[in-house]
Amino acid sequence: MGPVQLNEIKAVPYERSEVVKGYTDRSLHIDLTGNDIRVDPIDAAVKDRFTGGKGYDLWFMWQAVKGTTKWNDPENALCISAGPLGGTPGYPGGGKSIVTTISPLTGAPIDSNVGGYFGPYKKFSGFDVITLTGKADQDVVILIDGIESQIKIFSASDLPDNAYELSDALTRYFDEKKPVNISVVTAGPGAENTYFGCLNFSWYDAGRKRVRYKQAGRGGTGTVLADKKVKAVVARFGAVSMKSNQPADLEALKTVTKTHAKEINELDGKQNRMSLVGTTHLVPIMNDHDCLPTHNFKFGSHPEAAVIGEDVYEHIFDKGFDGCWRGCAVACSHGVKDFSPFTGPFKGTRVFVDGPEYETVAGCGSNLGIFDAHTILEINFYCDAYGLDTISVGTSIGFVMECFENGLITTEHTGGLALFFGNRFGALELIHQMAKGEGFGAIVGKGIRQMKQIFADKFNADPDFMQDIGMESKGLEFSEYITKESLAQQGGYGLALKGPQHDEAWLIFLDMVHNFMPTFENKAEALHWFPMFRTWFSLCGLCKLPWNDIVPEDNKDTKEPAKVMKHVQWYADFFSAITGKKTTPDDLIAMSETVYNFQRVFNLKMGTGTREHDTLPYRAMGPVTVEEYESRQDRYDKQLTDTYGMDISGMDTAARVAALRKERESQYEQLKDAVYDRRGWTKNGIPTKETVQRLGIDFPEVLEVLAANGVQ
Amino acid sequence: MIQVNDQPIEWKPDMTIADLLKQMSDVRFCSVVRVNGKLISSPRFDVTRIPDNAVIYLLPLVAGG
Ligand code: SF4
Repeated sequence: MGPVQLNEIKAVPYERSEVVKGYTDRSLHIDLTGNDIRVDPIDAAVKDRFTGGKGYDLWFMWQAVKGTTKWNDPENALCISAGPLGGTPGYPGGGKSIVTTISPLTGAPIDSNVGGYFGPYKKFSGFDVITLTGKADQDVVILIDGIESQIKIFSASDLPDNAYELSDALTRYFDEKKPVNISVVTAGPGAENTYFGCLNFSWYDAGRKRVRYKQAGRGGTGTVLADKKVKAVVARFGAVSMKSNQPADLEALKTVTKTHAKEINELDGKQNRMSLVGTTHLVPIMNDHDCLPTHNFKFGSHPEAAVIGEDVYEHIFDKGFDGCWRGCAVACSHGVKDFSPFTGPFKGTRVFVDGPEYETVAGCGSNLGIFDAHTILEINFYCDAYGLDTISVGTSIGFVMECFENGLITTEHTGGLALFFGNRFGALELIHQMAKGEGFGAIVGKGIRQMKQIFADKFNADPDFMQDIGMESKGLEFSEYITKESLAQQGGYGLALKGPQHDEAWLIFLDMVHNFMPTFENKAEALHWFPMFRTWFSLCGLCKLPWNDIVPEDNKDTKEPAKVMKHVQWYADFFSAITGKKTTPDDLIAMSETVYNFQRVFNLKMGTGTREHDTLPYRAMGPVTVEEYESRQDRYDKQLTDTYGMDISGMDTAARVAALRKERESQYEQLKDAVYDRRGWTKNGIPTKETVQRLGIDFPEVLEVLAANGVQ
Repeated sequence: MIQVNDQPIEWKPDMTIADLLKQMSDVRFCSVVRVNGKLISSPRFDVTRIPDNAVIYLLPLVAGG
């Protein structure tokens, strides 16, 4: 790789707005069509209503797009924000960025919460939120330089096209002497050629002297950046301290930061050991509880799962501090050094792999029948370098493999690849094809919803069977948990605003293992409170893992242990200390409820956001095939007889599959009713006029959207 | 003797994790424990025998990714 050559095509100096009580009260707008750069003040009313982070992103996107806007229209906005609490060094999980855009997969807003230093650096450079609209006429790199107070746009040619080398090259180019001052957002060739391109957000790991990155994975945010011809967005900023946010009460901030960090330092080693194993402890736990996706979500466990869990990765991960934000005590963002891929452009070289996390192990391992820790590493490496979301990649290839094993597609369609479960080479080959937009990989890269259409139209595959086994909802591929035995988590996926991602609600254990929410009302209450609280992290620029992945020792003695209320109170104290607004745990929920309902109305504006869009493939609810039923026959037979009072003695397995399906589908519809009611929505899943009025989002445009959907 | 969440508890031959949890209060949300560093999940509580001198931590809640 030669030296980086960038040609400056625009430079705009600006006066850096101080951060006061967590906010700069400024937004930066870059229209790439004319290289137009604008800095606007943010209204106090917007701040009051939308809090920041994802709330700001959605508000500015709402201004930018029309109901008819498609993901690749120039007016689609890609927004990145940090939130008022983001950028607090030492607070566990205290520095995330939140990305939103209209998704190529769903046609509606997608949001992703991601580590790396970009969000805080961008905020300290003077902007709570940036929006990118338009399309450049050549490849460009954008620099937000908070040290020199300049925004620059460069034309870029001959840059490395993969994110692995590009992040490194740009980090060194923009601050050779102090690479720690740089954070780079990049996509990659896979993002250009698929609908599920991710964004890599970097930070410089001073201990290892190398650039690391985390991914804003879901929904094709990288695809949108690539479509705008932006190769990278770079933020440059200097020293960050607890004072950088100019908190209202520095002492209170220090106290709550120290308290939370101390607890994690004391307890993580006794609990999930995330500072050693990341989230790979979940692999054996999910496997033991029959929740680990195996063979396209057909089964929830596999005897070989032990070789892809924490026992193995603990020994493979490179030792050292692995916080994706400064001083994060959880430090769970592990990686593997000196890995040598067997395939692709890096074959035979030595690379550093950032990951894998649980989702990648489950999606690109067990779900594909691949029980090989090193193949999973190679898939992880290439997905990141190419800018591909490992969750959509794993879930999509799982679907393809099941179609192949059932003869719905053959080697004639796949270009000769025999895509049976466990075909490690086949999975990797598909990923290389996706990156180039070639071969059968180009079809897989369109995601499951489009594949179902293409396989039915062109290959004559059975659409009903594909509807049942294609693990997507709203167009987004499922993240990696089996939900068949947890109705609440079926709601957690099906009723999630952006599609089936577990960051809104993860209720499997409370529901399935602990039977904590036996009634529809209990489940609906959980599907109100948990999505609201989890949303709050993205309003404020925080990571949710320190909330409930490390739990106080006395948590079990509290009134509501599932909510880990001691931590919720700390978050309220954190918010009070930075912003100066005296805040209670209930206030945090109220902040989220406003943004959550606004996002639901936004979905409605984009033509989704009603009951029919909260639909699940049946595999998320129960056994689709006789094989699946018979693999857990005792469980299902018992439910039919004991729960539903059926006499099944004269039924063959196919009849039992059908009987169970009828019951489970009906339960899911009843759950929708209960949740809509709890959220203040109509039976069609639309916020009522009273709800939007109560939340203060009854703007004329919102009311128009409601009225157009029959809500007066 | 075994150590459970840093507290000493008397060990009995053939004692399983399920036996241990029965004698403890407030274990409602315990679906996973670590025995000498190894994860054991609730479906195996009945069949997993605890060795003498084991160091055990009860994982209070499984929260998902
Ligand atoms: S908890 Fe893990 S993912 Fe979250 S900020 Fe800390 S290191 Fe990053």
